[in-house]
Amino acid sequence: MLKVRKSTPYLFLFPGLSMMLLLVFVPLVMGVNFSFQNITQRNAYPRTFRITERMPDGAVKITTRKEAAEVKYVGFENYRKVFKSQSFWKVFGQTLTWTFFNVFFHFVLGLGLALILNQQLRLKGLWRALLLIPWAVPSYITAFSWRWMFNGDYGFFNYLLEAMGLARISWLSDAFWSMFAVVTTNIWLGVPFMMITLLGGLQGIPDELYEAAQIDGASRWRQFWSVTLPMLKPVAMVTVLLGIVWTFNMFNIIYLVTQDNPHTDILATFAFKAFFVRGEYGLACAYAVVILVILALFSLLYLRMSKDNQVSA
Amino acid sequence: MKSKYLFFFCALLLLWTVACKPQQTGGSDAADVVLQRNTDPVKVSFWHTFNAEETVTLEQILGEFKQEYPHITVELQQVPFSDALNKYKTVAQAGQAPDVFRSEISWTTELASLGYLLSLDAFLDETAQRDYLPAALRYARYNNHIWGVPQVTDCLAFFYNKQMVATPPKTLDELVTMGKQITRPEQNKYGFFYRGDPYWYTPFVWAFGGDLIDSDTLTVKIAEPPAVEALQFLKDLRDKYKIVPPSVDFANDYDNMMIGFKNGEYAMIINGPWSTADALKGPEFKNPDNLGITRIPAGRGGYGSPTGGHNYVVSADTQKAFASWDLIDFLSRPEHQARFALKNNLLPTRQSTYNLPAVKANRIIQDFKYVLDAANTRPVIPQAGAIFIDLKPAYQAALLDEKTPQAALNEVKQAWQDLLETR
Repeated sequence: MLKVRKSTPYLFLFPGLSMMLLLVFVPLVMGVNFSFQNITQRNAYPRTFRITERMPDGAVKITTRKEAAEVKYVGFENYRKVFKSQSFWKVFGQTLTWTFFNVFFHFVLGLGLALILNQQLRLKGLWRALLLIPWAVPSYITAFSWRWMFNGDYGFFNYLLEAMGLARISWLSDAFWSMFAVVTTNIWLGVPFMMITLLGGLQGIPDELYEAAQIDGASRWRQFWSVTLPMLKPVAMVTVLLGIVWTFNMFNIIYLVTQDNPHTDILATFAFKAFFVRGEYGLACAYAVVILVILALFSLLYLRMSKDNQVSA
Repeated sequence: MKSKYLFFFCALLLLWTVACKPQQTGGSDAADVVLQRNTDPVKVSFWHTFNAEETVTLEQILGEFKQEYPHITVELQQVPFSDALNKYKTVAQAGQAPDVFRSEISWTTELASLGYLLSLDAFLDETAQRDYLPAALRYARYNNHIWGVPQVTDCLAFFYNKQMVATPPKTLDELVTMGKQITRPEQNKYGFFYRGDPYWYTPFVWAFGGDLIDSDTLTVKIAEPPAVEALQFLKDLRDKYKIVPPSVDFANDYDNMMIGFKNGEYAMIINGPWSTADALKGPEFKNPDNLGITRIPAGRGGYGSPTGGHNYVVSADTQKAFASWDLIDFLSRPEHQARFALKNNLLPTRQSTYNLPAVKANRIIQDFKYVLDAANTRPVIPQAGAIFIDLKPAYQAALLDEKTPQAALNEVKQAWQDLLETR
C-alpha cells in the first residue's frame, strides 16, 4: 500500500480551498456583515471633495476636504426594512409562482421528452439535436424572439387572437399575462437541460429490471411507476433541486422579456435594484441573506426528505 | 475529523475579524495643491458612451486635437451607456477613475455628491459659463460649484406627420379634437401615442402646472392636483377620447411607437432628438419635410418638456487636470459641437454654436432649439437618477387601472420623501 505523509492531502487541498475561501467565503462573510450595517454608497468610502480655484498667475489651486467613512452597526434595521416593505410578500409570492411553474413544467416536459427519446426511434440523433436547440441558442436571443412574439401591437400571438376575432392581450404589461409570458419563455429555455439530464438517468437503468418486470407480467404503466421512476429518483432529485435554486435566483430572462415590470419582480431583482440602482449596500445584503436562508432551509429540508425514502438499488 | 472542523472554524474566525475590521480610512488631511500648466508628455484616459456613429465624429476631432496638443495622448474607451454609471463608481471607489468621463446629467450630481469629481470652477469661469445655455448648465452646478461641462442637451418634442396633421395642436384640448378627427381604429390609424415610461409623462405634469420635486426647497410635488390631473388626462386619451391605441405593451412601446409613426399609423408622438435619424428612415418620411417637430401642446401651466443631456466631468483623483481640461475645452469648441450636431443630431449646449451659419441652416436643430427654449429642468439633486425607479411602477399601475392616479402618486410621494432623506 502506498504510504503518504499525513499532511500531503492538505497540501493538495490547499489551492482549491484557498480559492474557495477567497471567492466564496470571504464575500459571504462580508455580505452577512454588511447586512447589519447602515452601509450605502454614500458612507462606504471616505469622500474627497476637490475644489479648484484659478490663481492670478494662471495656476490652479486645488483645495481638498475629506469626509471620513461613517459606517455603523444597526442591528436588524435592514431586515426590518426588508420585511416591512409593502411589496416584499407580493414579490415573495411571485418568486414562488415563478419557481414552481418553471421547475414543474421543466420536469414534466423534460421527463416526457426523455422517455420518448429513450425508445427505439428512427433518426434519434436528429431529434435529440433538434430538442437541444433552445438550450444552445444564447438566452438573450430566445428572450428577444419571445418578446417580439408577445408584442402588444405587432406580435404573433395578438395577430392570432385578432384573426380569431378575439381581443388583444397586453402580454407584457398585465399582471397575470406578464408572469405567464416570462414563465412560458423560461420553460421553453429550460426543458432541454432537464431532458438531457433525465435521459442520462434513464439510460443508466439496467435492462434486466424491465425484462424481469415483463416476465412478472407488468404493464408499461406499471413498469414506469415501479421501475423507471424509483430508479430515476436520485438523478431527478438532484436536478430538481438545482433547478429550484437556479430559477429562484434567475432574473436575466425576466429582465429581457418584460423589462422592469413590478408584476414579474422576484426577490433577486429586488436585491439587485437595492444595490446597483439605489446604492443601498446594507439593504441589498439583507435581501441576499434572506434569499440565502430561504434556499438553505429549503435545500436541507428537501435533502432530508429525499434521504428518508432513498431507493436501495 | 475533529481537527478539520477546528481548521475550518479558525479560518472562519480569521475571516470574520478581517471583514469586520472597522474602517478608519480617511481623515482631515486638507492638503492644498497648486498646479502649473506644462507641456510634459501626458496620457489622458477618456471613458465615453457615444454610439458607433458618434464615435467616428469623436475620433476625427481627436485627430485634430493631437495636432494642436502634441504632448497629450488620449486613451479612448467606450463604455455601454447602461453600465457606465456603475462601472465608473466601481473604479472611482478604487481611486482608478478615468481622467475624463461623459456623464449623464443626473449622474453628475450623484457623482459630485459622492466626492468622485473635480470641481471645474477654475476652468469654466463666469465669462465662459455665459455662452452655455442656462438650462443645460443647471445640471452641472451643485452645491455652488461647477462639476461638469455640458456636452449635449436634449428634450422631448412633439413629432407629427405633416400629411396627417396640417398644423400641429397648440393646446392639449386641440390635441384631443384633432386626435379624434384622425383616429380610425378599423384602419389601425390613431391620432396620438404615448409611452408607459414615466419620462414621457413628465411633460404633461408641467403642462398642467405641476412639478416633480422642487430642487430648491426639496418639496415633493408629484402627488399634487396638477400631476394627478395630468395622469388622468393620459388615461382619458385611451379610455374616453380613444385617440391612442387600446393595447398597452410597456416593454415594447418605444419600438412600437416608432414603427407606427414611421408607417403612418400614429400621426403624432413624443420623442427626442436622438430619434430623428430613425424617424427619417420610415416610408412616411421619404420626404424629410414631412416630419414636423415642435413643442408639446400646452396646458394651463404652459409648455412642458424635460431637459436632458450629458456633461464632460473630470475625476477627483486625476493628476492631469490641465490636460483633461484642454481635451474638454477642445471638444466643446463651437465648431466641434456643430460637427456632432450636423452629423449625429446631438443638440449643442452653447449659444455661439447655434449662431454658426451651418447650424442655423439645419431646420431640425432649430426646431429643437425652439422646444428647448421652453423646456423644464429636472430635479438637480444627487438622487435624480433614482426618482424614475419609483415613478415607473406607480405610473404604469395607474395606466393599467390597478390603482387610481391619486393613490399611485401618493405612493411615489412617500418613496421620494424617503429617498430625499438619504443624503
